[in-house]
Amino acid sequence: MSTQTVTRSRDGWLALPGNIWRSVFRNPLPDSDLGRASTSFTNFFLHIHPVKVSRHSLKATYTFGLGLMSAFLFLILTVTGVLLMFYYVPSTTQAYDRMLDLRGTVAFGIFLRNMHRWSAHAMVAVVFLHMCRVFLTGAYKPPREFNWVLGVLLLLVTFFMSFTGYLLPWDQLAFWAITVGTSIAGYAPFVGKDVRFLLLGDSTVGQEALLRFYVLHVAVLPIVLTMLATIHFWRIRKDGGLARPPEEDALPGESSTPGPMEVVSAAPVVMATSAGAAAAAKPLLERKQYGIQGLVRGPITKVGNISDRSKFSWPSLFQAELLVFVITVAAILVVSLFFNAPLEEPVNAMHPPNPAKAPWYFLGLQEMVSYSAFWGGVGIPTIEVLILLLVPYLDRKQVGVGRWFAKERLLPNTLFITFAVLNVVLMVIGTFFRGANWEFVSPW
Amino acid sequence: MKNPAKSAPDGAPEDVNRRKLLSWLSGFGLFGSAVIAALANLIFIKPRVTYGAPNRFSIGKPEDFPPGARIALDTRRVCIVRDGDSLAAISTTCTHLGCIVAVSETGFACPCHGSHYDQDGNVTGGPAPRALSWYQLTLAPNGELVVDKDNEIEAGKYLKV
Repeated sequence: MSTQTVTRSRDGWLALPGNIWRSVFRNPLPDSDLGRASTSFTNFFLHIHPVKVSRHSLKATYTFGLGLMSAFLFLILTVTGVLLMFYYVPSTTQAYDRMLDLRGTVAFGIFLRNMHRWSAHAMVAVVFLHMCRVFLTGAYKPPREFNWVLGVLLLLVTFFMSFTGYLLPWDQLAFWAITVGTSIAGYAPFVGKDVRFLLLGDSTVGQEALLRFYVLHVAVLPIVLTMLATIHFWRIRKDGGLARPPEEDALPGESSTPGPMEVVSAAPVVMATSAGAAAAAKPLLERKQYGIQGLVRGPITKVGNISDRSKFSWPSLFQAELLVFVITVAAILVVSLFFNAPLEEPVNAMHPPNPAKAPWYFLGLQEMVSYSAFWGGVGIPTIEVLILLLVPYLDRKQVGVGRWFAKERLLPNTLFITFAVLNVVLMVIGTFFRGANWEFVSPW
Repeated sequence: MKNPAKSAPDGAPEDVNRRKLLSWLSGFGLFGSAVIAALANLIFIKPRVTYGAPNRFSIGKPEDFPPGARIALDTRRVCIVRDGDSLAAISTTCTHLGCIVAVSETGFACPCHGSHYDQDGNVTGGPAPRALSWYQLTLAPNGELVVDKDNEIEAGKYLKV
């Protein structure tokens, strides 16, 4: 306060540049709890975070930063993707030449393409690992059921983003991977052939398919993904932060029931996070002012300076996020420096490579397709996605939330690990153990 | 206009009904418009013309295919088979995952995943789920053979010349 008065009394140029800085950033670097709170609360980029965050959510070994890593990879993909768009032409006669130009003439061209390619592969993998984390810590239990559903949709959009991007270099790898991939889609009963035709815009992979995949890849799917991800993030806040065991919200010296200062009881429409919490929540204190920002679901919202197991987001959470960001960017930079994205011969529709393989994340499907076209390519994947979508509605017991491999969740965890391992094994077989004519080969 | 909150108890149900009806109608109208818009998008996205290789094309005179010939036109993805004076056009697109099958001693063989077909395109081995398609083959007035890939016919139906 006193500094502001001093500033105002200064006349003319002496106020510069401090007054510009203060007009942009509402708070000086915080040295008090109030300052820490308002720094995260009044900054556009920081205010999607809570002011305080549970210590449990900050543990690196709880989340491994996987969700955040997916978001940062998407950020890298957006930046590098937009830059690549300046030099790319979605035409069958020009696309491949433009790939060569990226190598030969465009400044940092090959490096940007490497970053884009490796981030795309990494994003598919990291989003999958994030799903494994959420399942194995039971973090999809009420009230977070729908956020799990959004997560499954995000996984599917990520697959589709990566798949549409695969065609764009217009080399042999791209052409045959998409030919094989869209043929798998064609196995769907009734609609399969129509879906394939709509996707390709023609009966075979050609100029129309290249244009369609380009539009999907650079406009439609990024918008869909951004919207879904935004809702995904927003719901994390509205569902009370990351899932954690109820005892994490207890006051010191109290047993496992959530803290008494919850605003849960103030809004009857929102239910408590755990079964016993609604009964345990005490009425709000009388003669106390409650801010509207306090009326969100879940035990994280505390009013007043209560000593609990949470920390201020500034700096703890932001430091952790910065660390994940730096690690992600550094990893992608290093990999892009040492490994070049593959570019094979230009498309030759007459000469399929043997074997012709779909992108690696679809090779589990292709492996199953080699046993049964319908069941491997359509039946089993559809059932898998449906079960994933229904997981939080089938498994409703409020036990073992927020802990890795909780004993109470032995059955669901075992089932999920079996599901994940099975899919990964099929993928590994399809990638490394299948040679010419899709015959079994040894990779070493 | 009667204020529904102040209306008499006996008048209230009528008001609510009118209101309900109007809400239902507007809801139906909005939902219907959304459905029509979605359908319009679907129609828009389905191409009426394709710019790639045409699906109906001429392949030359019957004399170009001597009896006993099995000539694969790879760019057209079709194999012309002649047996005596019977001609047929069999697809060379593998029904497994869309690779181009090669003409072999026993029929057709796919280089991608090892599917095998007999002379008529029936599956004899490998992962292929269906037999190769037979396309309609006609004789145009100018004496040239015309293949129509949009028109699949049953296997074994030959064109006599």
